[in-house]
Amino acid sequence: MSSQAENTGAVYTDEILFPGNPTFESITESVSRIPEARKTPRAWWVLFSISLALAGMLVAMIGYLFWEGIGIWGVQIPVGWGWAIVNFVWWVGIGHAGTIISAILFLLRQRWRTSINRFAEAMTIFAVICALIFPSIHVGRAWVLYWTMPFPNQMDLWPNFRSPLLWDAFAVGTYFACSFMFWYVGLIPDLATLRDRAINRIKKILYGIFSLGWRGGNRQWRHYELAYLVLAGISTPLVLSVHSIVSTDFATSIVPGWHTTIFPPYFVAGAIFSGFAMVMTLSVIARKIYNLEHIITPKVLERMNLIMLVTGSMVGYSYAMEFFIAWYSGNEIEQFTFINRAFGPYAWAYWIMISCNVLVPQLFWFKRFRTSIPVMFVASILINIGMWFERFVIVMSLARDYLPSSWDYYSPTVYDVGIYIGSIGLFFTLFLLFLRFMPMVAMSEVKGVLPQADPHYGEKAHA
Amino acid sequence: MQVDPKTYRVTENSKVGIIGLIIGIVGLALSGIGYMTDSAQFFHSYLVAFFFWLTIALGGLFFTLLHDLVQAKWSIVIRRIAESIMTVLPLMALFAIPVFLGIHELYHWSHADVVAHDEILQKKAGYLNVTFFIIRAVVYFAIWIIFALLLYKKSLQMDKTKDSSILVKLRRISAPGMILFALTSTFAAFDWLMSLDPHWYSTIFGVYVFSGSFLAVLSFIILVVLYQRHNEVMRQTVTVEHCHDLAKLTFGFVIFWAYMGFSQYFLMWYANIPEETVWYLHRWQGDWKDISLVIIFGHFAIPFVVLITRAAKRSFPVLLVISVWLLFVHWVDLYWLVLPNLYNHEVHLSWIDLTTMVGIGGVFVWYFWRRYTSQPLVPIGDPGLQKSIDFVNI
Repeated sequence: MSSQAENTGAVYTDEILFPGNPTFESITESVSRIPEARKTPRAWWVLFSISLALAGMLVAMIGYLFWEGIGIWGVQIPVGWGWAIVNFVWWVGIGHAGTIISAILFLLRQRWRTSINRFAEAMTIFAVICALIFPSIHVGRAWVLYWTMPFPNQMDLWPNFRSPLLWDAFAVGTYFACSFMFWYVGLIPDLATLRDRAINRIKKILYGIFSLGWRGGNRQWRHYELAYLVLAGISTPLVLSVHSIVSTDFATSIVPGWHTTIFPPYFVAGAIFSGFAMVMTLSVIARKIYNLEHIITPKVLERMNLIMLVTGSMVGYSYAMEFFIAWYSGNEIEQFTFINRAFGPYAWAYWIMISCNVLVPQLFWFKRFRTSIPVMFVASILINIGMWFERFVIVMSLARDYLPSSWDYYSPTVYDVGIYIGSIGLFFTLFLLFLRFMPMVAMSEVKGVLPQADPHYGEKAHA
Repeated sequence: MQVDPKTYRVTENSKVGIIGLIIGIVGLALSGIGYMTDSAQFFHSYLVAFFFWLTIALGGLFFTLLHDLVQAKWSIVIRRIAESIMTVLPLMALFAIPVFLGIHELYHWSHADVVAHDEILQKKAGYLNVTFFIIRAVVYFAIWIIFALLLYKKSLQMDKTKDSSILVKLRRISAPGMILFALTSTFAAFDWLMSLDPHWYSTIFGVYVFSGSFLAVLSFIILVVLYQRHNEVMRQTVTVEHCHDLAKLTFGFVIFWAYMGFSQYFLMWYANIPEETVWYLHRWQGDWKDISLVIIFGHFAIPFVVLITRAAKRSFPVLLVISVWLLFVHWVDLYWLVLPNLYNHEVHLSWIDLTTMVGIGGVFVWYFWRRYTSQPLVPIGDPGLQKSIDFVNI
């Protein structure tokens, strides 16, 4: 029997996660040297300056928005929800990859996730920050945003608990809190590593504070592992609930093309899809710049592509269901909406959406494409564009509402575009700071799945 | 029941197959009488029973497709059970014939005079007509049977040749199989269940039926495993660890099912459009309200609470009770989908409900058991077998 067990590796090839037989030390070294580096790479400065400039533009434009009101956007009647809601859904969706990688893939024992989970989680947090900007500024009077929170007040006024927008505030808020906790708990052992390696007193104190006195003792690890499992359990329903709630913003209404029962799972699949695309875009760049090709291996990238293939196909399934049921319903308005999407004034957006979200991931059926880094890089960007357009197509259903007399064509203004691009700048500003000062790969987790971590490592296979 | 521990072949079979066959024939014969006494009741009960067992067979197909596609290791020792379940699909194709015969009793849209007075049904006539309905059913079954038999054949081939390259072939087959499965099972649910109320529609309906189907097959697999343990065979091969994982999946899909059910209900409740809410209204009037509550609590709340702890997932008595219960509520769920079509306000449980269930079920179990025990009980040619046997949850 033992010979059979040894042969297993040949077919079930996932046994070897990291080629080149890295040691614990080499993993620590190749990850820690990035935040420890004395000199910041020039490329980092270039990217950071651009991102910071864009983030500055975001702040300036939001300032003007507060001064002038949301009339500076292209929103009008009937399209009261313009780019802001599109961007909100897009950013929240992108955040989902971090949570599925750290929570669901953890519960599913997918050990390859260890090389990407840390920065995917960081991406989640930054994406949620960007997402939260949009509904906050879209309310118009951002200074009374706290009214969304239910709190006792002398006017006895409460938010409308039956409003999906309120659920959003709770869902996304919970999501942010849990993701942040999960990310931070995961960081503790690695922060301790950086503390122990620090040669600079300030760094030592700062990493020391944030590593919460981690010593790596047996009891600490036991508590840590349990906390990790519990947090994974808590985060798993969040993967599904957050975007389901976001989908109810649309689906609880009676707007044709919005009110359809498949929306919650369809939005979740789309969120995971776009999130993985963003992780892919970032990891292809980061592994190259920081020489992490031996940790973020081609095998890991290939698996991410497979997840994109699966979730992209689920999204395609949802499009098909919407279209079929729109016909099957016999409801003229519903039918019109879908025909209008495909052939109306926004047909260009619809076909961008279909080609990027349904057709592009089909490339990953072929091993040649899903292992080719240029292909996956371009595909991941196209998917993110496609997913933005998906939300755009959904929102633009408003342009052709029940009253033909109010039909209009929505065009964004410079402020719509500027704030959107600015939010991308903010995202990259935060992300680049993270890359510079934090361990971007979960060292302790990668070490945990190395063959050396097996207590029986080095023992002969017993007969 | 005796199993050779080396070859995993059954040396002395239990009587479960024969008993199943006898019960099945008796059940079908009694159902025949039911047909003569009350044909409308018979066809509705029959559709529920047929769909109950069909969802298990399809669940087996899905389990196998998924296993082969992702090349899971822990479930190798369970794979043969799922594979044997899906080989019942040709038999289920035969059991579909009475549904075709009862088409006019079951589906309003099949009556030309009804359609003539119904504007909405006229629009749907291109899809909802008898000829196309039967053609689609034949296509669904053809696809299911082809994939089921192909995967089964390849898997048996691996038993003999020990050729691990077959794993790659299984994966190649199951990838397109998965896509076709998603589409065919969805449209089968639309055709056979959703079109019972031909005005009503829901985009999530296919996924809802699928989630119940996968839950049912997981319960069925757990029962087969427990039956083997009861007979003191395969205890060293299919261990508590595999049961634990099956229970985790069951737990996950209890939630997934509720998620689907809730998404559908909630969005319709909120939007409050009469053409959608009428479907739930029928299921919230009179006795049907009780059945709805049984589903909410029985299909979600109770199994959710019971399965939440690790200890429960590893306890054989708990798994036995919860699997039987989940199969029962799966039947209630299908009953709740179909029977309001016949009885608008009151629930009329009929003896035909029982006879059709055990009739098809008995023959199903016999056929499954014969297939299952005729081959090694685990895929002995799979190079990951030992890993799967040694699998432990940490």
